Amino acid sequence: MIRIRGLTKHYRVHKRPPGLGAAIRSVFHREYTLVKAVDGLDFDVARGERVGFLGPNGAGKTTTLKMLSGLLHPTSGELSVDGHLPQSRETAFLKKIMLVMGQKQQLLWDLPPAETFELNRAIYDVPKDEFRKRLDELISLLEIGDQIGKPTRQLSLGERMKCELAAALVHGPRVLFLDEPTIGLDVSMQVVMRDFIRRYTEQFGATLLLTSHYMDDVAALCPRVVVIDKGQLSFDGKLEALVQKVRPEKRLTLRFSAPVAKERVAELGTVVRHDAAESVIQIPHDSVNGAVGRALAELPVVDLNVENPPLEEVMSELFGRSRAARAEGESAS
Amino acid sequence: MTRYLRLLGIQLRASALLAAQYRWDFVVDGVISLFWAFTAIVPLFVVYGARRTGIPGWSFGEALVVTGWFILLQGILDGAINPGLAQVVDHIRKGTLDFVLLKPADAQFLVSTSKFALWRIFSVVSAFVIFGLAFRELGRLPAAVGVLESLALLVAATVLLYSLWILIVSAAFFVVKVDNLTYLFSSIFDAARWPSSVFRGALRTVFTFVIPLAVMTTFPAEALLGRLERSTLLGAMVGALVFASLARLVWIKSIGHYSSAGG
Repeated sequence: MIRIRGLTKHYRVHKRPPGLGAAIRSVFHREYTLVKAVDGLDFDVARGERVGFLGPNGAGKTTTLKMLSGLLHPTSGELSVDGHLPQSRETAFLKKIMLVMGQKQQLLWDLPPAETFELNRAIYDVPKDEFRKRLDELISLLEIGDQIGKPTRQLSLGERMKCELAAALVHGPRVLFLDEPTIGLDVSMQVVMRDFIRRYTEQFGATLLLTSHYMDDVAALCPRVVVIDKGQLSFDGKLEALVQKVRPEKRLTLRFSAPVAKERVAELGTVVRHDAAESVIQIPHDSVNGAVGRALAELPVVDLNVENPPLEEVMSELFGRSRAARAEGESAS
Repeated sequence: MTRYLRLLGIQLRASALLAAQYRWDFVVDGVISLFWAFTAIVPLFVVYGARRTGIPGWSFGEALVVTGWFILLQGILDGAINPGLAQVVDHIRKGTLDFVLLKPADAQFLVSTSKFALWRIFSVVSAFVIFGLAFRELGRLPAAVGVLESLALLVAATVLLYSLWILIVSAAFFVVKVDNLTYLFSSIFDAARWPSSVFRGALRTVFTFVIPLAVMTTFPAEALLGRLERSTLLGAMVGALVFASLARLVWIKSIGHYSSAGG
């Protein structure tokens, strides 16, 4: 469905040191630097696949999504979405895709969302019956029946985002590009959005490429993740495999019936948190069985739980490493 | 074609809904535009004074026809052209032009029809009242041919004004802030309230060929008065076509320069 080969996007950016003097000098003489937003990216996404597209800020995620949706022209490389060259912006291509950006909105601000839906119906040339049926579905799935008649500016952020999603789906796209769709939403609203997106992609066999800083979004929606950094691919595979690669340890949570000394728990692995009634330890993947056996035999354990470290931690460690590597590279040069 | 007409209908409907939603704004803006329309005649009274011998070759009634066209065109500019195109500058700055470019419809059409200031209909009504007053002053009615010719020129003038605005807005793809440029051209357009014969030399050439104000108000007025040469009419139509083609070309080139914003 999506094929990316050697994709690059370079920008020439005006470089200016801070301060008034530099600002005045830059009026007469400008220095430019070449920013490699995307730098030789390769990956494929199969039809109906849901892929989390991750990376630290400025990694090139949004730039890639914009190239995939035909908004930006690549500097070089090959790009195809369902057989179309995105930058040609053919009508057939634009009718197949949608792009929702959590930070930007397409809804008409002073009018109810229903007006934007109607406008999009006309733009995408959706037959009236089909539009009515799809809209009814969207309204019931997203529970926005009460909102679509109110002016957009009177809606809460969560209500607005749900309506944004509906506006982007009235033409029934089969390729969904979602850029931070849950940004700023409260936890319950994030869950609603996630459930909806999963149901939509399953129902229509739609392909999804999702960027999000909320790892719960990615964990709930995307069996596969593609991680990029500095415009280059740094990981492509199952989310589970990424977690093992970055943090090859599991977390063992033990709850005790009587106080246990920290030293005794430390014999099992690295202690992350400890108090009299509960202890969290980190154990290498292949030592989990042994550690669990020992804990049950030697300690007054009433409950235990084995899990992967939180995804947020995994990602912040991964991005932290890449930042450190970058800083090292810069100081070496 | 029918799809675009339907789209235009929906966009107009959205503007009507907006006007209905803020009905007091509609009334206040309407009254203000009536006020501006009638203040546009005041300079004419000053120039013609009590003896009414103002501009050579133009009697008071004839000059009033030019003012009528100026008010009509200003109504079209502020009511139908500027509201939509002014938003383009904002779209470019905020990166929301993304949503326009993602749509399977012509981007120039979508932005041009995205907003209408319907209260400007009052300017159009005022223009017709002024035409009525002018021909009463002249003591006759316009000839049917003259009316037809002036209608053709109304189309040409609207196309010219629209093309000029597309050219200005296209600059926003390169320099982003073009608000000042639209103010400048609005001020220049103000000169269209006078018959073009008041300008001499280089200014007259500029206002006929570069920023064709003469085509917008003086020529249609002359047509309505029954004294426009056919060759001038033809030249104006061809000129409008050339301007429109140039504007379209520049717009398409400019869109290629869109770099989006935010991420």
